[in-house]
Amino acid sequence: MKMKKHFMTILTVILALAMIFTVVACDKKPDEPKTTDPEPVKTDKPAEPTTQASEEPEPAGDQTIHVYTRDSASGTREGFEAVIGFKDKLTEKANEVASNGAMAQQVGQDINGIGYVSLVTNFAENNLKPLNYEGVEASEANVINGTYTLKRPFCFTTRAADDYKSDDQKAIVAAFLAYMTDSKEGREVVVAAGGIADVEAGKPWDELKKDHPIVDQDNSGLTIVCGGSTSVEKCVKASLESFQGIAGNVQFKLDQTGSGDGWKRVLGDDKDGPNASDIGFASRNFKEDKEPVDTAMRSEEFCQDAIVAIVHKDNPVSNVTKDDLFNIFTGAAATWDEIGK
Amino acid sequence: MENAKENVMASEAKFAKIRKRRRGTDVLFRNLFRIAGVIAAMMVILIIIFVTSRGIRPFLGSAEERVNLKYFLTGSRWRADQGIYGLGFVIINTLIVSVTGGLLALPLAILSAVLITRIAKGKLSIFLTTIVETLAAIPSVVYGVFAAGKITVLVRDLANVFGISTYGGNSSLAVILLLAIMTYPTMTTLAVSGIRAIPKELDSASLALGATPTQTSFKVIVPAARSSIATGFTLGLGRAFGEATAVSMIAGNALAGPSWNPFDITRTLTSTMLTGLHETSGVDYEIRFSVGVILMFVIVSMNLLVHAAKRRLEKKGGLSA
Repeated sequence: MKMKKHFMTILTVILALAMIFTVVACDKKPDEPKTTDPEPVKTDKPAEPTTQASEEPEPAGDQTIHVYTRDSASGTREGFEAVIGFKDKLTEKANEVASNGAMAQQVGQDINGIGYVSLVTNFAENNLKPLNYEGVEASEANVINGTYTLKRPFCFTTRAADDYKSDDQKAIVAAFLAYMTDSKEGREVVVAAGGIADVEAGKPWDELKKDHPIVDQDNSGLTIVCGGSTSVEKCVKASLESFQGIAGNVQFKLDQTGSGDGWKRVLGDDKDGPNASDIGFASRNFKEDKEPVDTAMRSEEFCQDAIVAIVHKDNPVSNVTKDDLFNIFTGAAATWDEIGK
Repeated sequence: MENAKENVMASEAKFAKIRKRRRGTDVLFRNLFRIAGVIAAMMVILIIIFVTSRGIRPFLGSAEERVNLKYFLTGSRWRADQGIYGLGFVIINTLIVSVTGGLLALPLAILSAVLITRIAKGKLSIFLTTIVETLAAIPSVVYGVFAAGKITVLVRDLANVFGISTYGGNSSLAVILLLAIMTYPTMTTLAVSGIRAIPKELDSASLALGATPTQTSFKVIVPAARSSIATGFTLGLGRAFGEATAVSMIAGNALAGPSWNPFDITRTLTSTMLTGLHETSGVDYEIRFSVGVILMFVIVSMNLLVHAAKRRLEKKGGLSA
């Protein structure tokens, strides 16, 4: 009996202490959040993220940057890593998410998080702040006028003009490229599929069509074969599907394996192999020295892909440079203090 | 006389015919059922053969693409971008979150089952049963959306109380809580049916000997139903190990581990298989089948372990049910 009483008393005291400790810890937090920070030197830094006005107060324990990345099969990740230049060097502490939507939601819940999404994401709805890149706001207009540089071009090249199976094949490929690249209608389709192109500057298809009489005949016996970059697949597929309806039911085949195969399969070693294609795509510019495109029938950039670095809306950071992003995503910068505000 | 004899012979021939026909039908149906059984068994074998044959490919390919089997089983880094596939820490993480989640749900499930079968009367009991059944029927992606919106926020706020910063609440703890919620209905349903199957005499005898209803519930009825409870635990663990959609939404898919800290992000076998599955190709695609083989292996060994524990328990205690 006595033992039991003793035990109960001790238990009560422990519980009471635990509660007091919790309350004190709660109260202390806003005053000195640095006590739990692994980085001790940071006295000259302004406002903590916690002092920002917020609907749901989030006493962030420290300023450790939380890196969010897409899964390794993602085209957005491929593009982001290529532009920032940290392929294979991603920090070990990264949180991997499966989709653009998951990225937006999770960074929106993490005041210390940073991630990247495509430009079409709804930022306000997810509590996100799109970061300016090198001082330029991420907007469609800035991508088109060339000032926003966290982007990559989607390019295509074709077989040499005298290297097609038939004249009809050559004509239908030329007609498709005119539709996708030059026409207003084609650009609208590309933009709807996530690419960025200047729709207003496009010409009406009815006008362009006059140079491509092939589209008025039955083309169900012809197949346009595309190869190269996987990132362009969505835009190209959407364009081909809408082109099919206005070009006599022309067939198409997409075999996207990576930018490296784009040039190879129309002008390089594989151009007469089993994977030979009519149009080769790359989500970068073709390399002038290794991938000469002067012999191609047509070789151009048809749209752009912009990526936006995002943080929680209460994060005081609003601009990042290429070096900042490199340091953050390779783990060289571990806390927000190291990032210019 | 002659006529009668003929009659008898005729009817005998008729019966023999019927008997023969009946035997024919019998054989026909017996074989039909046999075929059904073989097809069912074939499914299991086909799945195992298919998954395994794809799963061993990454370890057989050309020298520069081959994945090191030893590192695959014991490694502590999963960097698909660098071609490094170490699954060891993922196996440990999966065991931690699934078993902890299951153990968290087990007492809740037992208490709920006692409430439903022995304490709640009439409509309340039916109402509670309906709730448990509804929980069991909710699709996992719905659980996932709930977890990503609510459980992670809860975990984040809890971590903030301790001054720990989390990845917006994506953590082992969030996965554990989610799996506890998801395994709870399976365990409860099995425990309820186990308790319902216990003969009334056991209950009456205990009460007649002077035990209170509570003592009867916990000292007689629950131990007597432990076989069903163990089965429920096994099935629940199976769901916890196999849950992919909801878990990969909140696990954070850590690139290295194992994650001992409950507030740290984690990676499970299923989330490894699922994340990026639709867009990938080559070794990164094939390796998911290898992970599937490991997952099946882990689940089977876990089931055997629980069964062994159950058998030992049964040997120890005198009661069996």
